[in-house]
Amino acid sequence: MLDKPASALRIRERLIESERLMDETGCYDGITELKLRNQDPLKFETLHTKLRAYCVSAREMARRISASPGVREVGEMVVAIYTPEGDAIALSNGIMVHVHTMSRFIKWMIRNGYEENPQIRDGDIFANNDAFIGTVQVPDVMDVVPIFHSGKLVGWAGAVCHELEAGGITPGGDVALAQERFTEGLFVCAEKVGENDELRRDYVIRCERNLRMPIYWVLDEKAKVASCIDMRESVKALIDEIGLDYWMQVSKEFIEEGRRAQLARTRQLTVPGIYRGHTFYGHVTAGKPGYQPLGDPDWLYNMPIEMEITTDGKIVIDFEGTQPWGYHSMNCTPAGMDGGMFVTLTQHMNFEGLVNDGAWMATELKLPAGTWTNPDNEMVATATSWALLLPAFGVFQRLLSRSFIARGFVEEAFVGQVNSPMIEMGGQSQYGTPFGMAHFECAAAGSGALAIKDGLDTAYVGWNPESDMGNIEIWEQNMPMLYIGRSIVPNSGGAGKYRGGCSFLSTWLVSKTDHLRLVTSEHSSRVFDNGGLCGGYPAPTCQKHRAVRDSNIFELAKKGAPLAHHTGTNPHRSELEVRLEGEHVTLEGPYITAPHKTGDVFTHSYNGGGGYGDVLERDPAKTAWDVENGFLTREAAEGIFGIVLDEDADGFPVSNLEATKRHRAEMRAKRLARAKPVSEWISSERERVKAADFAPEVKKMYASAIKLSPRFAKNFSTFWDVDARSTFGVE
Amino acid sequence: MDQITTNPIVIGIDAGGTMTDTILVDQDGHFKIGKSATTPKNEAEGFLASAEDAADAWGISLQDLFSGVNVVLYSGTGMLNTLLSRTGRKLGLITTKGLEDMILMGRGLQAWADYSYADRLHAVTHHHPDPLIPRRRTHGVTERIDQFGDVILPLYEHEAHAAAKKLIADKVEAICIMTVFSHVNPAHEKRIAEICREEIAAAGSDILVYTSHEVRPVIREQSRLNSVLIEAYATSRGRRQLKGIEDVSKKYGFKYGVQTLLSFGGLTSIDHPRLHETMISGPIGGILGAAYVGKLIGNDSLICSDMGGTSFDMGVITRGQTRIENEPLMDRFKLNVPTLHLDTIGAGAGMILKVDPLTKKVSLGPESAGSDPGPICFAKGGTEPTIADCDAILGRLNPHYFLGGKVVLQVEKARNAFEEKCARVLGVGVEEAAEGMIDMLEADANNALRRVISGQGIHPSEFTLLSYGGSGPLHLAGCSRGIGFKDIITFQFAAAFSAFGCTTADFMRRHSVSTQIDIGARASDDELQAFGAKVTAVWNDLTRAAVDEMVADGHALPKIKTVPFLMMRYTGQLEDVEVMAPLSAISSADDMRKVIAEFEAVYAKVNHRVSRYGEAGFSITELGLIATADKVKPMLVKRPLGTSDPASAHKGVREAYVGGRWHKANLYEMDLLQPGHEVIGPAIIEHPATTLVVHPQDSVFVDEWTLLHYSHA
Repeated sequence: MLDKPASALRIRERLIESERLMDETGCYDGITELKLRNQDPLKFETLHTKLRAYCVSAREMARRISASPGVREVGEMVVAIYTPEGDAIALSNGIMVHVHTMSRFIKWMIRNGYEENPQIRDGDIFANNDAFIGTVQVPDVMDVVPIFHSGKLVGWAGAVCHELEAGGITPGGDVALAQERFTEGLFVCAEKVGENDELRRDYVIRCERNLRMPIYWVLDEKAKVASCIDMRESVKALIDEIGLDYWMQVSKEFIEEGRRAQLARTRQLTVPGIYRGHTFYGHVTAGKPGYQPLGDPDWLYNMPIEMEITTDGKIVIDFEGTQPWGYHSMNCTPAGMDGGMFVTLTQHMNFEGLVNDGAWMATELKLPAGTWTNPDNEMVATATSWALLLPAFGVFQRLLSRSFIARGFVEEAFVGQVNSPMIEMGGQSQYGTPFGMAHFECAAAGSGALAIKDGLDTAYVGWNPESDMGNIEIWEQNMPMLYIGRSIVPNSGGAGKYRGGCSFLSTWLVSKTDHLRLVTSEHSSRVFDNGGLCGGYPAPTCQKHRAVRDSNIFELAKKGAPLAHHTGTNPHRSELEVRLEGEHVTLEGPYITAPHKTGDVFTHSYNGGGGYGDVLERDPAKTAWDVENGFLTREAAEGIFGIVLDEDADGFPVSNLEATKRHRAEMRAKRLARAKPVSEWISSERERVKAADFAPEVKKMYASAIKLSPRFAKNFSTFWDVDARSTFGVE
Repeated sequence: MDQITTNPIVIGIDAGGTMTDTILVDQDGHFKIGKSATTPKNEAEGFLASAEDAADAWGISLQDLFSGVNVVLYSGTGMLNTLLSRTGRKLGLITTKGLEDMILMGRGLQAWADYSYADRLHAVTHHHPDPLIPRRRTHGVTERIDQFGDVILPLYEHEAHAAAKKLIADKVEAICIMTVFSHVNPAHEKRIAEICREEIAAAGSDILVYTSHEVRPVIREQSRLNSVLIEAYATSRGRRQLKGIEDVSKKYGFKYGVQTLLSFGGLTSIDHPRLHETMISGPIGGILGAAYVGKLIGNDSLICSDMGGTSFDMGVITRGQTRIENEPLMDRFKLNVPTLHLDTIGAGAGMILKVDPLTKKVSLGPESAGSDPGPICFAKGGTEPTIADCDAILGRLNPHYFLGGKVVLQVEKARNAFEEKCARVLGVGVEEAAEGMIDMLEADANNALRRVISGQGIHPSEFTLLSYGGSGPLHLAGCSRGIGFKDIITFQFAAAFSAFGCTTADFMRRHSVSTQIDIGARASDDELQAFGAKVTAVWNDLTRAAVDEMVADGHALPKIKTVPFLMMRYTGQLEDVEVMAPLSAISSADDMRKVIAEFEAVYAKVNHRVSRYGEAGFSITELGLIATADKVKPMLVKRPLGTSDPASAHKGVREAYVGGRWHKANLYEMDLLQPGHEVIGPAIIEHPATTLVVHPQDSVFVDEWTLLHYSHA
């Protein structure tokens, strides 16, 4: 017999009870024994495979419905099935980051008395894109429907799409200019948006009247609801087959098994202990149009991260010492932080077997209140939280990788993710109509290197392992710009024995519009937001945006003169400057300027990944291939990797092994000459620290962390043997 | 099978990478099979030898055969194998300037798209497929045409001349041309092609030129690029081969044109201008055959698996539905050819085995010995050990019954070479090493089946595995072990199953044109009527073209059926729904409303009614017509179950090495097995064209259709 029939408790009480049972027993919902699994393991596995199949096929259906190239072309969507309390049982592929954010959304409704008002009934549709309730950013709009069987709430089906237009202060979805939530776009705050399996007409009208390109949002809503209904009906049919009591028990056992599996995998793949890492992020907005003077225009964020792996396999990540939230769009809510954690775990450890919320339960995030990871003010903007999330969880990947290497799982080590900033746009389309769109080709950056091979070029992003850039011919149907270049960026992967994957750069000619607004979220400015591993270098960041207004491209074309198709490899004079006349623009930080028009040229690049291992150990033959194919320049091969290249009869690079050996010996000698003991370096740096001899942004960065976190202040004081508070003038 | 008194009227031939299989069908559905080695240099030889083998079995001459049949179907995997083994033409590419790197960047999704659910998430496993063309032979030419077909940047002809000259100097065998939006306005592609031809003529070279708008005039430049590259890389040799087959058929008295199979399941003439649409026709034949058998035996959820010498192809039929893939992957490249869904890996009995002397790392393939020179044991000059050599060494293949004894396998020769090149390098015994190699191959196929199942989100216990292809039964046990299929079936005619499947197809033409008909949500009656007239006019043109073609191919007019269809979407969507037209002509606003209603009904069925959005309006993006003509099909015969004792098929005992030791395995003649028979392993069931290895304690049951059901112990 089963322990628990479908609960007679109200769902809010059930949720509280479930959490109490977890606290008391350490097991999900008090499930200390996987009875059904032990009874019939084959049936157990089969059922979970079925649930996952429901999710995979529901997501495919939704992708057919969508009008958004983000969903249809590059797969920015995920769906999942939940317990009545809102814990994910099974999920599809796609943007895994949202599996747990939807969980928070469901729990929020339960905790906030939705059973009484507005009531949770069969056929209802609820939507949310409020990150403080449970999502990452405004464009991540989620829909859930309750699953009822025999009159009881037995689960939820949910779906999220990333919308390409959110109706914010600037067009697109990731609204970089937002400094408070009031400029981020259209909010739907845990709202009942449909009944009897139909979206409410008044809700659709609100969307149609508050978005620049409503067809993306509206058809995505329809797509999500259709997929939720599809999953709901499949689950109901399954319950008819296996019985309600069995379902209620097995769905919880799936999660508990997922939790145990995560712990077991951690024990198998890692070495327990405390791991520390950090990264930075630089933000430059001084003098840009549109920014209100609410805080410092330029600032630097420090992200020190400590990961503890306990002997029973629990992973705890602590962000103590990071910066306070600010008046910018890159803050993140705990839901977003959960998402970052979840997507990283599913890529590294939790990709097999029972992928579900159990994995999340085997971890813990310590998010200090008041920091950008857990703002104590719910008015803050989170529209581009990925800008900080990606660097932060890149650190998590490198910490995990160190642990994998320590345990001998070298092939699992992965330098991981990088920021990949998106272009948002709007204005007048090539059809003469108003439009707005986020360009999602950013979903194909370069990955960090592995410990056994180079990173993946132009085919990885942290938030969605199913990375893709989509077809040019699809994107061009949605924007008044034509590609005149889409090419690999040489040297964009971090150097190392194994280099990071390279990124690409797009070059567009604005066409058939008098008013095209282009806005980007940003690369980290002035500091690296990513890292290498085991001696590998970080990938270059801080890419500048380049544009030419009123270019003479059409005149040149008439004459058959060469045009610019990329920015080139000369850091002092870009190809745009070499080839085109007009008003040249070079901009650091987010691109926020006056509208463009036909004949203007604009470029934007994505990021490559960090490298692994010592550059002087890189394979010369592979490097020659890299140079031939534009992944590296000849200068980088020789100057950074110490690889001397000759030319073959056709002028293609071939490695000169003897000369390389000599050159590398010289480089090693120079390294040694430059080296000094760590103790010496620390004592010389200490003098700078004592004098607080830093750039103003650096000084402000440390001061704010010291003010917010006594622990960080203490660690800083102890390490540098200074009084941190007085050094940085913190009261 | 009962007594045959008539002559065949259909010849179906499927040429795989290693063997060419023939099936002959008469008007009552009786069939016989034949087999011969594929002759890749001149496929017509293998075709003829295989046809002769089948004609012998029927008891007629080649002349009688070819002069009597009205259909010759030829399909092959030769082109696909060219792609898999990267042995195609040396290509050059000219594309829109600035986009030359698309060869290397691919689409990001090609780095993971054919992976299992787990590996899709597990990012460290992702990697790009090897490009078909190196970056150094890719040249950009300045030009831009936009989505409306307007020239935004003119074509720089001098750059096209320079690119062509460089590619000619590089001695490419074919030049491919792909520019953005060429399917809307092909002017630039056409001009670049002209320039290339001028330069080729001036250089006195013999280089083919392919343009993407001719090969695949469909949106999505990456898929169009892949299509044109694959067409040029792998099909040009195939086209000459098909012509050779038609010539030889006519020489023996065949009166009509040879047909081949389209990847979406119909038959077409070998003059088909887009031959890459027939590239996976052999395996498609298998799926058609599986669907046909499934219907006969009342089982409609099937996993089909076809192992020959070179590749292992897998297909899925769910509740009678074969999935059509509009953007299929071919060897991890994304195309936009409607195709019956199929997954392929390089795995077959012809796979060449290598052991690295330094690292002791074992590699299987991807090269296959094919049939020429073939495995070492064929003694036709092969020097590289293959899986088939391992099968021979371990006594699983009968050295005196391969192709019914036409090829005597030189087991000692294979054994000596295998010992020297593999076993000794690994430092283990010959048998142990040979079985290890086979285990690796079977594990690859087993994993691929699991991946296919997991990738579709389908649990294996709902499915029956159909195993065929010359090597399918030979490696069936290992390929299917532990997956938990509902049932596992193979066939006496396993070796010719794909050819059998081809003969179950009807003649088909699928004509379509891209359109841009946008019907507003509040279109007036007059507007609706005008849209209807436009649609009808297109359908009429398509009908005429398709019917004319079929009549020219010798089909009687009354036998030709036509069904018009529309590809429709809500305006702004990115994917169409295929709607079979409820009317053959639209003559009023009400008719047009019926068509729209039909779209909304089909759409709601596929995508749920909540997702309808008529407020956005309706777009017709493609109008098409399917014309079909019936064809005689082979039949399976149902007979009552008899005794379970298979003694009447028993033909002796042979030493066979399975599971780490030698066994005395019972030998059975596959064609003599009768309904009701049950064979318990260790046993080997032999057929002139295939061999079924029954592992110890496993069993095989013969059902009333004479299908062989394999059960794992």
